[in-house]
Amino acid sequence: MCLYVFIDLNILWRLIMPNVTFRYEDGTATVVAVTAGENLLEVARKANVAIDAPCSGNGSCGKCKVKFISGELNTEKTRHISDEDFAAGWRLSCVSTVAGDVEVLVPDIASAYKSRMKVADLSSKEEIAIFDRAKQDVEEAGIAFENDFSIVELTMEAPTLEDTMPDNERVIWAIQAAAGVEKVKLTYQVLKKLPDVLRENEFQVNAVLKKYGHGVMVYDILPPAEKKIYGLAIDIGTTTVSAVILDLTTGELAAKASSGNGQIRYGADVINRIIESQKDGGKEKLQKAIIEETLNPMIQNMCRSIGIDSSRVYHMCIASNTTMNHLLMGVNADPLRMEPYIPAFFETDNVDAYDLGIQVHPDANIVIAPNIGSYVGGDITAGTLVSMLWNKEEFNLFIDLGTNGELVFGNSDFMMSCACSAGPAFEGGDISCGMRATDGAIEACTIDAQTMEPTFTIVGGEGQKPVGLCGSGIIDVIAELFRCNIISPKGKFIREGKRVRHDQYGIGSYVLAFKEDAAGHKDIEINEVDIDNFIRAKGAIFSAICTMITSLEFDVSMIENVYVAGGIGSGINMKNAVQIGMFPDVELDKFHYIGNSSLTGAYNMALSTAAEEKVYELARNMTYMELSTEPGYMDEFVAACFLPHTNASLFPSVVQEDI
Amino acid sequence: MPFNGKSGKFNASINTVEIGCGEKAIKIGGENVLPFYTFDAAIENAPKVGVMISDLGLDNEPAGVKAYYEGCTTIAEVAKKAAEMPGADFVCLKLEGADPNGENKSVEECIEAVKAVVDAIDVPLVIAGCKHVEKDNELLNKAAEAAQGKNVLILAAKEENYKGVAAAAGLAYGQKVGAESAVDINLAKQLNVLISKMGVAQNNIVMNVGSAAVGYGFEYVVSTMDRTKAAALGQGDKDVQMPIITPVADDAWNVKEAMASEADMPAWGSQEARGIGMEVSTAASVLASGSNAVILKHPTSVATISKMIKDLM
Repeated sequence: MCLYVFIDLNILWRLIMPNVTFRYEDGTATVVAVTAGENLLEVARKANVAIDAPCSGNGSCGKCKVKFISGELNTEKTRHISDEDFAAGWRLSCVSTVAGDVEVLVPDIASAYKSRMKVADLSSKEEIAIFDRAKQDVEEAGIAFENDFSIVELTMEAPTLEDTMPDNERVIWAIQAAAGVEKVKLTYQVLKKLPDVLRENEFQVNAVLKKYGHGVMVYDILPPAEKKIYGLAIDIGTTTVSAVILDLTTGELAAKASSGNGQIRYGADVINRIIESQKDGGKEKLQKAIIEETLNPMIQNMCRSIGIDSSRVYHMCIASNTTMNHLLMGVNADPLRMEPYIPAFFETDNVDAYDLGIQVHPDANIVIAPNIGSYVGGDITAGTLVSMLWNKEEFNLFIDLGTNGELVFGNSDFMMSCACSAGPAFEGGDISCGMRATDGAIEACTIDAQTMEPTFTIVGGEGQKPVGLCGSGIIDVIAELFRCNIISPKGKFIREGKRVRHDQYGIGSYVLAFKEDAAGHKDIEINEVDIDNFIRAKGAIFSAICTMITSLEFDVSMIENVYVAGGIGSGINMKNAVQIGMFPDVELDKFHYIGNSSLTGAYNMALSTAAEEKVYELARNMTYMELSTEPGYMDEFVAACFLPHTNASLFPSVVQEDI
Repeated sequence: MPFNGKSGKFNASINTVEIGCGEKAIKIGGENVLPFYTFDAAIENAPKVGVMISDLGLDNEPAGVKAYYEGCTTIAEVAKKAAEMPGADFVCLKLEGADPNGENKSVEECIEAVKAVVDAIDVPLVIAGCKHVEKDNELLNKAAEAAQGKNVLILAAKEENYKGVAAAAGLAYGQKVGAESAVDINLAKQLNVLISKMGVAQNNIVMNVGSAAVGYGFEYVVSTMDRTKAAALGQGDKDVQMPIITPVADDAWNVKEAMASEADMPAWGSQEARGIGMEVSTAASVLASGSNAVILKHPTSVATISKMIKDLM
């Protein structure tokens, strides 16, 4: 009896607190004690183990695969895992629960999103040229490149027993004389460091000033050699975050960085993030993921790369979609997804870095690019500034391809804007072999019409083997499969060959790379479900373009230029994008890739007060069109879910090979 | 100034499709005006009426149908009688017994029925499957083969099985291909494009754009047919210029107006009369919306609709 109880307790104890070991491919591991019955994906999230879960863990995307090594794990076999893979140990973490001690392998593809944070090399001329051009365009339109910041050199007499004026008054006097202003206020930050800086530099310092009503606020006191004032521009995308540090006097770029959005593990799209934020402590969790895990490390890395303290960043501008800026500020985002879809704010006016815990100068004001609707946010208003639509007489179209596709159409007289839900397909989500444009991503592809053999361009160094497909790669693959008559206009396989196969349910797929040529554990394939998902994404974009333009009683022939922005990559092949019916069939030279317009817009707003005001003005003057209430949209969407389109006469330039 | 009427005829026209062979072959389509607008231009081929028979026999049919076929014991005899029904232009054999969720008859057994019917009648034949996409793929393939040389219409190739069905009917055995879609002009057009791309000539395709009994979401049916005809004639869209055939009997006889017994609904009157009413009003409506042929089952409905067509032409 006694023995029995002993054994029972032992089992009970193990059941209560089993250990979960997440083993990484490099051999390191994270071990965490959990309660039996806990969901493996939830455990991973709590332990900060990066497992990509675009569908937020409802078993629909099949991305959260881990490999079972040993121990006790209850799981369900889903359609995402073949018999062969299941036998090899692959499990979906979102449908697995911990039954006892267990060890699983987290493959690189699952953590691919947390692609090493990149501090970009600014020696690349193209990189700098995009910002220069954006600044130049805006400047030529008559926007003055001036802001409230300036730096003055101060030379003061050192105090003596006779000259007993305190340090702060000494500095205020000096500034009044040097800058010719009456009112001078010191920030707490300055007061705190003042005695040391003054004495270390023998009362010869530089003061960073910000205009403040009729006076100035002193933001910093620096040694005489430090002559630069820094600002920060950030684009917070649902998937990717990018940022630049700039010189607020000259506009010169000092550092640039990009990173995955730390909120990704709470869902790939805005709706799933909002749902997650409604859970207990969710708002704080999501805010922490973006600020502490994403923005602050990026800022620190950039500052380190240029050898400055992050408190030298005195001003910042953030451009992001409406959900992202609500979650960033910890504001309830739930009304955004509920009819009648009302944001908490369009514009903000008094948010400081200190309020959010962003590690720059605590008094740095955060300019948030204004929203114009629940699904058209500051990323678009900032992007519109640099698209220059507002300064041209001819009609232009601006498309921002992201997790949500956003469009602006118009000219100097009017602008219309709308958003459509394209899903994460352009950034590699919702696609079985999809990934973001990081190392190993196939970013371009051509297929030989006769042999059906593919040729790739792969992101990464020489010899990099393919891991999966990123957005521009998917466009190429589908366009090429269609051109070579391997798939029908519905996206179903109609040719047979070595690379085309069908699974037990009859779902066709095309092998991009066989196991031996791939970086991962298995063949890289694109299947009919992936193609169907992508056709819906491109259908959403094209039907939004059509609906918006026809609502104005225009047609695509009136579009003079198409400006394409977004993280899909500069590698996007416009001809292929037209071939699959994603963009209107206009002359190819009308398409212009303008990079991350949200970031360049934020850069302009950080640098120029007039540009900032212009964005507010643009936002107020833009008409927001809600597509979901537009009766013709659904019909246009069904018509656009065909390659290139049900109405082929809209795409006269599309050709297919005769096989 | 005297009023000068302007003809509303279009420059484009609906394809003419011939079904059956010999003297009794029928042509559907060919018009360049809206349905029954004979005042704008002559409509060469009046809409046609078909009689539906099932391989499951007559057990579940209403009394009037049973009475009409009285004395018939084999499917061949039923088919023969159907062909003679006053007002009928063609016969539609529906192989519903093949449905794996129903009787699950073997393909061979169904093909016997097809052969018997083919031999028994000289009017054009339409062969309809059991609506189970996988079974139909095999069944309609074999049916197209069994009826070779008879120029039958195979109902239907759908998005899920068009490759097999259209290849057999339209390419291998020289039959006419029915293309069935679900009440959406874009889906109808997409299927026509897919089937045409396989090499099936456009004038060998007949569309079933989907239907419903009147009162059951029927406005979708009307707008789909209206828009299809408007695109075919007004915009000259070759991908939707196929004539439309609409099986009416199944929809009309399977709604509560036709199924509720007199015991349950004494105020509604004769059950059979209600079924006929649903069948006639649905058929008249789809014809007015652009169908070039309808498939009915009750002798009274067939007589009524064929008279209506005659009077309107």
